Amino acid sequence: MSTAFDRDYSRRDFLQMSLAGMLGVSYSGWFGKLAAAAAASGERHRSCILLWMSGGPSQLDTFDLKPGHKNGGPYAQIESSVPGVKISEHLPGLAKHMQHMALVRGMTSKEGDHARATYLMLTGYREQEAVRYPALGSMVAKELGKEDHELPNFVSISPQRFGGGGGSGFLGPQFAPLVVSGASDNPLARANMSVENLLPPTGVTERSLENRFALLDFLQTEFGTRYKKSEAAAAHRANYERAVRMVKTQAKSAFKLEDESPALRDAYGRNRFGQGCLLARRLIERGVPFVEVTLSGAGNNGAGWDTHGNNFDLVKNLSEVLDPAWATLMQDLKDRGLLDATLIVWMGEFGRTPVINAQNGRDHFPVAWSTVLAGAGIRGGQAYGDTGASGMQVEKNPVTVPEFMATICSALGIDPTKENITEEGRPIPIVERGGHPINDLLAQARA
Amino acid sequence: MFRIGLMLLVAVTAFDQMPSTGQAAHSSDELTAWLDTRFSDLWIEAGAEPAAVDDATFLRRAYLDLLGTIPSVATTRDFLADAAPDKRKRLVEQLAAETKSAAHLSRVWRRIMVPGGSPNAFMAGQFEPWLQQQFASRVPFDEFARKLLTAKGTANFGAINPASNAGPNAGSPVAFYMAVGNTPDSLASSFSRVFLGVRIGCAKCHNHPFADWRQEDFWGMAAFFAGANLTGQPGAEVSDNKVSKIKPMESDKEYEVRFLWSDAAAKVPDDKFPREVLADWMVSKQNPNFAATIVNRVWQQLCGQGLVPQVDDLDQAPAKQRAQVLDDLAQQFADADFDLYWLIEGICKSRVYQRPSEAPEAVSDNPLTTHRPLKTLSPEQVFDAMEQALMLPVARGDQSPRYNGQRDQLIGRLNEATSDAPDQFRAGIPQALLIMQGALTSNATDLDESRTLRAVVDAPFLESAEKIETLYLAALTRKPEASELERMRTHVEGQSSRDDRRRAYAEIYWALLNSPEFILCR
Repeated sequence: MSTAFDRDYSRRDFLQMSLAGMLGVSYSGWFGKLAAAAAASGERHRSCILLWMSGGPSQLDTFDLKPGHKNGGPYAQIESSVPGVKISEHLPGLAKHMQHMALVRGMTSKEGDHARATYLMLTGYREQEAVRYPALGSMVAKELGKEDHELPNFVSISPQRFGGGGGSGFLGPQFAPLVVSGASDNPLARANMSVENLLPPTGVTERSLENRFALLDFLQTEFGTRYKKSEAAAAHRANYERAVRMVKTQAKSAFKLEDESPALRDAYGRNRFGQGCLLARRLIERGVPFVEVTLSGAGNNGAGWDTHGNNFDLVKNLSEVLDPAWATLMQDLKDRGLLDATLIVWMGEFGRTPVINAQNGRDHFPVAWSTVLAGAGIRGGQAYGDTGASGMQVEKNPVTVPEFMATICSALGIDPTKENITEEGRPIPIVERGGHPINDLLAQARA
Repeated sequence: MFRIGLMLLVAVTAFDQMPSTGQAAHSSDELTAWLDTRFSDLWIEAGAEPAAVDDATFLRRAYLDLLGTIPSVATTRDFLADAAPDKRKRLVEQLAAETKSAAHLSRVWRRIMVPGGSPNAFMAGQFEPWLQQQFASRVPFDEFARKLLTAKGTANFGAINPASNAGPNAGSPVAFYMAVGNTPDSLASSFSRVFLGVRIGCAKCHNHPFADWRQEDFWGMAAFFAGANLTGQPGAEVSDNKVSKIKPMESDKEYEVRFLWSDAAAKVPDDKFPREVLADWMVSKQNPNFAATIVNRVWQQLCGQGLVPQVDDLDQAPAKQRAQVLDDLAQQFADADFDLYWLIEGICKSRVYQRPSEAPEAVSDNPLTTHRPLKTLSPEQVFDAMEQALMLPVARGDQSPRYNGQRDQLIGRLNEATSDAPDQFRAGIPQALLIMQGALTSNATDLDESRTLRAVVDAPFLESAEKIETLYLAALTRKPEASELERMRTHVEGQSSRDDRRRAYAEIYWALLNSPEFILCR
């Protein structure tokens, strides 16, 4: 392919762009110091990869096993790289990275319905009529993103989840996720990891594309001169410029998974989630601050982690997709020096009942469940919280949803008390009032 | 082949007239005269006199505002050539009388009444046909609001696509109840916002921090709807019961029916249901906020901004600002028996409607100033304008984007990023990519597929300048400026081969459709 549009950025360019973005933002209190320190050390801005486990994963068969108890399943526990922290035998790859991971075993929430719980975990707020809360990804995109970046600041890979949450809510479309479709698990299928309408229509040559953009630029400039003060005209132009840039430059290379070695692609797993994690790394590398990858099924299981029946076969299958993808992501980020700047969040909408039901399944359970934080800003190598022998309740170190969200923000260097303003002029803090970060989970405790 | 296309381009539009439903005693010309005098005084006071837009701009505005689409090339040429001094007035009256105008109005009011984030927004699809019937039969606005406030019965909850049960009886006012949640509190919030221009929703849980609303106000309004749906299920039938009190969940207090701005419980006579009592009060000519809210909303739709900018917070507008135009115009609207078409026609014929869009310098927030803001087309307007500009097939069948899913896809995607305020432009990358490279634009800018391009590009008797002019008329309803014509001609004539020259027209047309002027009405 000819090269008029081939303009790739080096890592150094990215560092500079990120730095410029960072210095433009003023933080308060300790965040200011954190930011200043990051800037002084030449550190890039932080990014977040959310691994969304649609349906609600079983904590008892992944990160909080109960061997020997009647609530425990048939899986064995294995040792990890951190003495005493044990996880499922079906997550052997992750066990090797435990020094970077903090298992949050004391999650507790109050929503047991898929749609409402999904809304809660993606936004940090309970769904209600009066306010359309933005997803965490949109809020991070707003805080850490750059307006003139070639790629969108929030990318969601093959999203499939319950309910209507997960959008940018009152923050508006400029912070909405760009959706990458992955309708097929077949790695050769064209739908895999593509952005809708990103490719020019067949038959339109690069030269013709250049002509179109040049003519459009002329018309925009004419119009912009006539309506200099119009916010609508400026917004239209800014939006088109981002879209045109995507068509011309970055997106082209970012989405080319075939540029990666076959061995690495195999290691991630030749499935939608595995290749999605690989794409997430490529996007983070190119400065995207928030990427969401969904694991909503494996093989013929389309219900994801919603394992009301046959839980143990299904969770094993899901683990066999999850483990290589996530473990390879950790290693790959580490190899590229990106793990210190990338926070990985693993969660679903809730956990599952410790009591095993008659269908050998587990039902919805928001009382005591697990999430995982890894990488940037996180004090790794620990299991935080304790659900006792039966797993029926949190006996030590419970973590509420606002506390969990505040911890994520702190790890990313975002002030959780910062307020966004709704269309009606109502101030809404990034994290619900009263949600404080859990210092024990953070590498750098809050003063 | 180009002949067929050319005929389409020059075909005269046949106008579908709406049935006349009795002549109101008042004339919209009187309203126009009143507005012209009032604004002339205001402008003299401010020492500024607005210009009037040219014919082409006026034509595009009127089409978009009254029919929701843009005019054809033939219509535009005819209008520009018409030398009659009263042609703008005749155009407004003619467009307002078309059946299509009721369909457009129903989409406008559906958007106002059921905002995107509503709990069951998909039900709006069944609400719209009912709205269209009301506007087509020119039901006065107070009667329209009363029908809604006292609606009974059911709608087909869960049926997302109403096309399957389309017909003269399709659509239901109850679909509105379902769309906004069908609970006393959601109905109280929605009706207060839509018809009285006040947002009392925050007072559901606590006294409002900025406005004067107290919990008594909110729950007093909600109590009127306490007997409308006792099940609490959004899909349930709406009926009336003699219930005039409500006890909110998680509260020990019971609230009685009470009107806003009132300190005492409302009286519900034995022969009436609470919702009827509420309707009597809300749509009354003596209720200054009802007429003012409707007038302000119509003004915002037509002129880009309300006469008072806070269309949903009328209670927070300074009395002085309301007194300038809004309150008197509202009184006139009530005196004209809430005739919506009278209001719309009167405004569209006035000088203030014909102000140019915002000046490059010194844009003011004052909605009464000599310029108006640019207006973003609604998703439906974008589709209809593209359908017109691209001469897309409209006959039922897979060829027509109206029926093959492309219209729904475009509108659905644009809806994800649409502002309620017409003077704001909101869109994200997916929306831009769809218009830039989606199937609709791709086919329509393909030299073999596009009817418009086929009609223009190979026409042997047209010079390049005339071809470019035709493309401008088709997409933007105007002729190119000299500088634009120069740029476009250079592009065409700079190509070395015949194929490249042909392709150059496709590139120009693509750029016109993607230009800000296509989606932002001047």
